[in-house]
This record gives sequence, C-alpha cells and structure tokens, in this order.
Amino acid sequence: MESRKFSVENLNLFYGENHALKDITLPVSPKAVTALIGPSGCGKSTFLRCLNRMNDFIHDCTVRGKVYLDGSDIYEPGTDLITLRRRVGMVFQRPNPFPMSIYENVAYGPRLHGVTNRGKLDKIVESSLNGAALWNEVRDKLNTPALSLSGGQQQRLCIARAIAVEPEVLLMDEPTSALDPMATAKIEELIRELRDRYTVVIVTHNMQQAARVSDTTVFFLIGEMLEFGPTQEIFTSPKDKRTEDYITGRFG
Amino acid sequence: MQSALKGDRAPRITISVVASMGVAIMIFILFFLVKESMPFLLRTSISDLFGLYWYPTYDPAEFGMLPLVVGSLAVTLLSSILSVPVSIFLAVFLSEICPGKLREILKPVIEILGFFPSVVLGFLGMVIIAPWMTEHIDILTGLNLFNASMLMGIMIVPIVTSLAEDSLSSVARDMRDASYAMGATRLETITRVVIPAALPGLMTATLLGVMRAVGETMVVLMAAGGAAIIPVSVFDPVRPLTSAIAAEMGETPVGSDHYHALFFAGLLLLLLTLSLNMLALWIEQRGRKWR
Amino acid sequence: MNSRRILKDRAATLFLWGVMAGLCLLLGAILLFLISRGWHALSWDFITQKPRNQMTAGGISTPIVGTLQLVLVSMGFAFPVGVFTAVYLVEYARDDFFTRFLRLAVRSLAGVPSVVFGLFGLTFFVIFLHLGSSLISAGLTLGCLALPVIVGASESALLAVPQDYRDASFAMGATRWQTIRKVVLPTAFPSIITGAILSVGRVAGETAPIIFTGAAFFTPRFATSLLDEVMALPYHILVLATAGTHIQQTRPIQYGTVLVLLLIVLGVTLTGVLWRARLRMRARTQR
Repeated sequence: MESRKFSVENLNLFYGENHALKDITLPVSPKAVTALIGPSGCGKSTFLRCLNRMNDFIHDCTVRGKVYLDGSDIYEPGTDLITLRRRVGMVFQRPNPFPMSIYENVAYGPRLHGVTNRGKLDKIVESSLNGAALWNEVRDKLNTPALSLSGGQQQRLCIARAIAVEPEVLLMDEPTSALDPMATAKIEELIRELRDRYTVVIVTHNMQQAARVSDTTVFFLIGEMLEFGPTQEIFTSPKDKRTEDYITGRFG
Repeated sequence: MQSALKGDRAPRITISVVASMGVAIMIFILFFLVKESMPFLLRTSISDLFGLYWYPTYDPAEFGMLPLVVGSLAVTLLSSILSVPVSIFLAVFLSEICPGKLREILKPVIEILGFFPSVVLGFLGMVIIAPWMTEHIDILTGLNLFNASMLMGIMIVPIVTSLAEDSLSSVARDMRDASYAMGATRLETITRVVIPAALPGLMTATLLGVMRAVGETMVVLMAAGGAAIIPVSVFDPVRPLTSAIAAEMGETPVGSDHYHALFFAGLLLLLLTLSLNMLALWIEQRGRKWR
Repeated sequence: MNSRRILKDRAATLFLWGVMAGLCLLLGAILLFLISRGWHALSWDFITQKPRNQMTAGGISTPIVGTLQLVLVSMGFAFPVGVFTAVYLVEYARDDFFTRFLRLAVRSLAGVPSVVFGLFGLTFFVIFLHLGSSLISAGLTLGCLALPVIVGASESALLAVPQDYRDASFAMGATRWQTIRKVVLPTAFPSIITGAILSVGRVAGETAPIIFTGAAFFTPRFATSLLDEVMALPYHILVLATAGTHIQQTRPIQYGTVLVLLLIVLGVTLTGVLWRARLRMRARTQR
C-alpha cells in the first residue's frame, strides 16, 4: 500500500445510462510517470478526471468504486475537495492560461490558498517557472500578458501554474496534442525531470510518446483497463492480444 | 460568370439604395435637430444656457438647461446605482449557477421584461409608489427622483442582465476548469477569473443600460414630478430633459423660442446617448483585441 | 481555512438565488397587482366600444384600432427597409467605407432616445413634408425607431444560414440575387419573422414618438386615411392618468387599458420568444 500513490478499486463511471468506465482496478506508483494509452473515446481522459474529481462538474455523471490517494478514498463523502485539488494538479489538452500577466497566472494558486506576502509570491513564481523550464525565457517580462506567449510556452506556463501550489501529483491530459514537434520535445523533456518530484499520470494519443516518457503504461479499450505494466514490457511483450494489435497499429 | 455578375448589378444597386436609408435617417435626425436648435443657440449666451432656471413660459422666459441636465443625470445615476449591481448579480446567477433547464425559462422571462411598456411603469409610479411614499415619508409629493429611479432601475435590469450574461457565458469553459483544478471554489473562480475575463462586455452592458436610462421618457414624465429644479434630496421632484420635451412640446407654438429651446434639449440628449453608444462600441472592440 | 472558503462560496450561492427569487417575486407582484385592478374593466364591450362621456365610460376600441394601425404603418416601412438593409450588410457588403458607415448609423439609431425620434418626426414628417399630425407621420416615426431592431434580428437570421447553401447555389450558376431570393431568404425567413414580431411588441408600447406626431387625445371615429390622427393605447393611458379632466373617475378604465396593452405587448413578445426558441432547438437537432 505504501508504494502506491493511487490505488483504484472497481471504479465504475456512468454518463446517464452510458457505462463509460467499467470496473477499473489499478495502482499508480509514486514519483514515476504512468502513461494511459488507447484509442480515442475509450475513457482515458474520463479516468484521469476521476483522480481529482473534476468529473463532479459534469451533470448526470455517477461514480462508483474507490479511489485511494495515500490510503484515503477521495470519493468518501465529506472529502475536502479544495485540498484534494491542491494535492492533485492538472494540465489540460489545450494551453489555457488566464487572460492575465504571466506572474499573475503562476501566483493565482498560491494566492487562493492564502499566500499574500509579495516576497514569498515572487519566490514561488520563480521556482515554479524554473520547474517548468520557462524561467529564463520570461524572467524579464513577467508582467506581460500570458496570451502573448507561444503555444508551447503557454503550456509550460500552465505546468508552472499547476506546480506553484506544490502538488504531489500532476495529471496531464494529452498535454502536447495541440503543440508542434519542437514544443512537444521540450515538454517531454520536462516530464522526465518532473518525475523526480511528482507523481505524473499522462494521457496520450501518441504511443511513441508513452514509450519515451513513461515508466508504467496502462492500456484502455472501450472503458475497460485491459492491461498495465512496465512500459518496456507492454511495448515489447504485451500479454493481451488486443494490446498487441493496438501497439502494432492494427487499429487505432 | 460575366452574365451572373451583370445580372446582379441591378439588384445590388437597388438594395444598397434601400440600405442607405438607414444612414439617411441618422443624418437627417442630426441635421434637423441641429437646424431647429440653431435659433436658440444663436440668441442665447453661454451663461444663460447653463442658467439655473428653466421657466420657459414666464415673461421674460428663462431657458437655463442646467436643471434639466442635472435632472437627467440624477435619475440616470440613481437608477444605475440601484439596478446595475442587481443586474450583474442576476447575470452571474444565470451564467454560473442556474441549472440549464431553469435558465432556458428565466433568460427569456428577463428578455420579455425588457419589452414592458414604459408608460405602464410610469403608471405604477403614480398609483402605487407615490401614494405609498406620501403616506410613509414626510414629503409633499410621491412623484420624485427616487420614485422614477426605482422604476427606471426596473427598465434597465433586463438590458444589462442579458448583455452581461452573454459576456460571462462566452468566457471559455477551459478557464473555469483550470481554476477548479487548482482547488478554487466556484465563488473564487467567478470573482478571480470569469468576471475579470468578461470585464469589457460587462462595461459595455452597463453603458448601454445607462444609455437607455438617459433616453427614457415615460417613466420620468409620469413619476419624477414636474418641477425643473436641481434636486437636493432624493425625494425632490425633477424634470429631466426627456420629460421636459415630452411635457412641453405639445403646448409650444412651432417656431417660438421655447420650441427651439426644446429642440436644443433634444440635441443634448442625442449627443449624450450617442457618446455613450460610441464609448460602448469602442470598449467592445478593444476588448475583442485582448482575447 | 478551507472551510471558510467553502462557507463563503455557499453563502454567495444562496445570496444569488435570493436575488433571482426577489426579482421574480417583484415581477409577479407587479403583474398580480395590475391584473387584479384591471380585470374588472375587461369585457367584450370594453374592447369593442368607443370611449364615451369624456372617457369616463365606454370602451377603448378606438385606441386599440389606432395602435394596430400604427403598427401596420411602422412595420410597412421598417420591415422591408430593415430586411434589405440586413441583406446588404450580410450578402453584399464589402469592407469599405460605406459599409462601416452604415453599420455605425444603424448602431447609432439603436441608441436614439424615443422622444428624439418624436422631435425628428415632428420637424421632418409633420412640418417639413407637410404630412401634418397624422397616422402616417406617427407611423413612419415609429418605423424609424423599429428599423435598427429589425436590422439586428434579420442580420442574425441571415448569418445563421450556412454558407454551404449559398455555395451550392453559386456552383449551379445562380447570381447572388437569385441565391438570396431562392435560398437564403426562405431559409432565414422564420427567424426574420420572429424578429419582426418582437419589434411589433416594442412599437405597440411606445408613447413618446407619437405624442407630437399623430396621437390624439380623442377622435370620434377610427382613422380612415393616413392623414387622420389616431388614438393609441399607450397615449391613452398617459393622458387619462395625467391630463384628463376626470383622473380619479377614469381610474378603472386606466387599469383596464393598462391590462389590455400589457396583454398585447407581452403576448406578442412571448409569441416571438417562444417561436424563436423552437426554431433554435430545431436548428440544433438538425446538426
């Protein structure tokens, strides 16, 4: 139990009548990168959003089962969602910085959670931007609008914003699918660095990306979790035939 | 291709001519208002123009615009203070909190409220609010600034709410998600992300509501009292530009000094509302560039 | 610390629900009040008989007919002009000076105060064009007021027609005008009509533009020519409540007239809004 950051047990999710996630049981290792792969529409992002209860915002969405974070079930009634979402951060598919300055974007989270001292905020902003490998590019234009950055920079800003609240986990929902190859490469490099300090769970459409950045890979198909294991194993000797078919490109 | 273009020339020209009627009307309005105000402007000195007394039917008549202008500003200001915050709250409610099905009912209801005839609101001011005021407050008349401002507030709410709600809803879903994912509450997301992002639209909505208040006639004609004085208390009667024109034009001989003075009042009104309109337009366009 | 934030959030939510509920209550109270006071006056006679005895008795048929006539005249002007202006803006306009000027003019017209339209009507239609205080002067004045509303609604309706439809028509060799006439306008027509319905509601309730352009305190007969003066519901209310000789005696009639005007305006507006909602839902499911 101690070696697992998340332990998902029998997770089922319904959108109305539609049974979107079927009986998922899965461990997630701490301080490692876990990649979720599979054809589109098979529940990877939905599953990801269960880990920080962002699915709560969707009407008509019912969740059954347990998701243990460090041993406590986050779906227990009365869970402090604010603290949960602080511990488990999220980066989205399209970069979505707020229409504010770069500084204000990164300072948003800490300000929410009570940090008002300007000096402290400055430090947090700097270290978060450093942690997202963006500091050197923006250090002298912190007060310019975040929307003036390039796509790749905006996404790294979103990562900086997420880590500014000092989470333990980073959930990334196809973070590079809207970016060009150069920006993608930079972010993949960043993910490898982030692994040292955070537990990363990344949904990706791109199998090669999963192979490049992750330690563990999980294969989803139509709402079911078919298999998971060390990335090397999944890609060289998958146990399930369907996994093999997907990896070799027979469908996708 | 050639024949298609040729065949299109006649319709195109006819339609552009019809369309230019809109331009013509606007230009004519400006032209005629200026034309009829000129006699007044030419014979009145600046100090008389901004005089404190509007006694158009006295002999000698006094045409000080100040009480009328202050009256308009006072009603506009008070009604905006009363109704703009409420409208923004309603807009936030509709956009962020109201469940979808209820929203489909409430939004149209508010829109329909915007078509409420102003003469009916003025009537309410006379038959309910005025008597209530004289009964419960120690004042001479219930037809006053406060009465009219309350009713004007009701008039403004639908406009500001609809436009503000449109502005809030068009803030991308993404923004809210990013905020929630960091542990913000809904209130924090609304106040720190959504409202700042929608600010140009909210300002435009307010300006257009104010513009409507400035130009409104029936409510002030019927409920603001008729005295062209500069109000000292909110329970004083006022006579804004609009009600002066509406009340006095019927009795005024065409071509008289009073006639031209009223046209000047109309011109002032037009310029005021046009500036507000243009300001709103400018903010809208600048706001669009940001995003 | 977190619980305080959550508490604030809940309090704000409650507060906002309260504001909305308050508005609905206020609206309901106003409507109930007006209905309760005006209900007694309503009767078939009320609607079909002319006012008698210096308005203290009889009905309001003359103002009702007058309002209808004003709506017809104003829409007779504003509808075709407004729709074609919108057609120009959406289908023909290039990004040139004229177009920008036109948009600015329409936008400005939308902000002109109703009493200023009245002044314009007086000096232009009544005096300059020698039409006198008449149905046509008042109707055209109201038409000018309604014009920007119709242009706006028609523009939206035309923009909502998918470009694909136009492209398909052009690809068959049709001219732009043929495309507009046979494809775009028919498609946009229901939406254009709902926009027109909404402006009817607006026009029927307006008072200031008609006070010095054509509305009369009393006419013994319905207007039979465009140069006759008319009575109108909003003006009738105004006069009875403020300047009539028997204000207190005619109160019941005032309430009755208010109710009739409300029913007409809100009824028309409700129809327009509901129909528009149906059209939108149909469009959504078609995609």
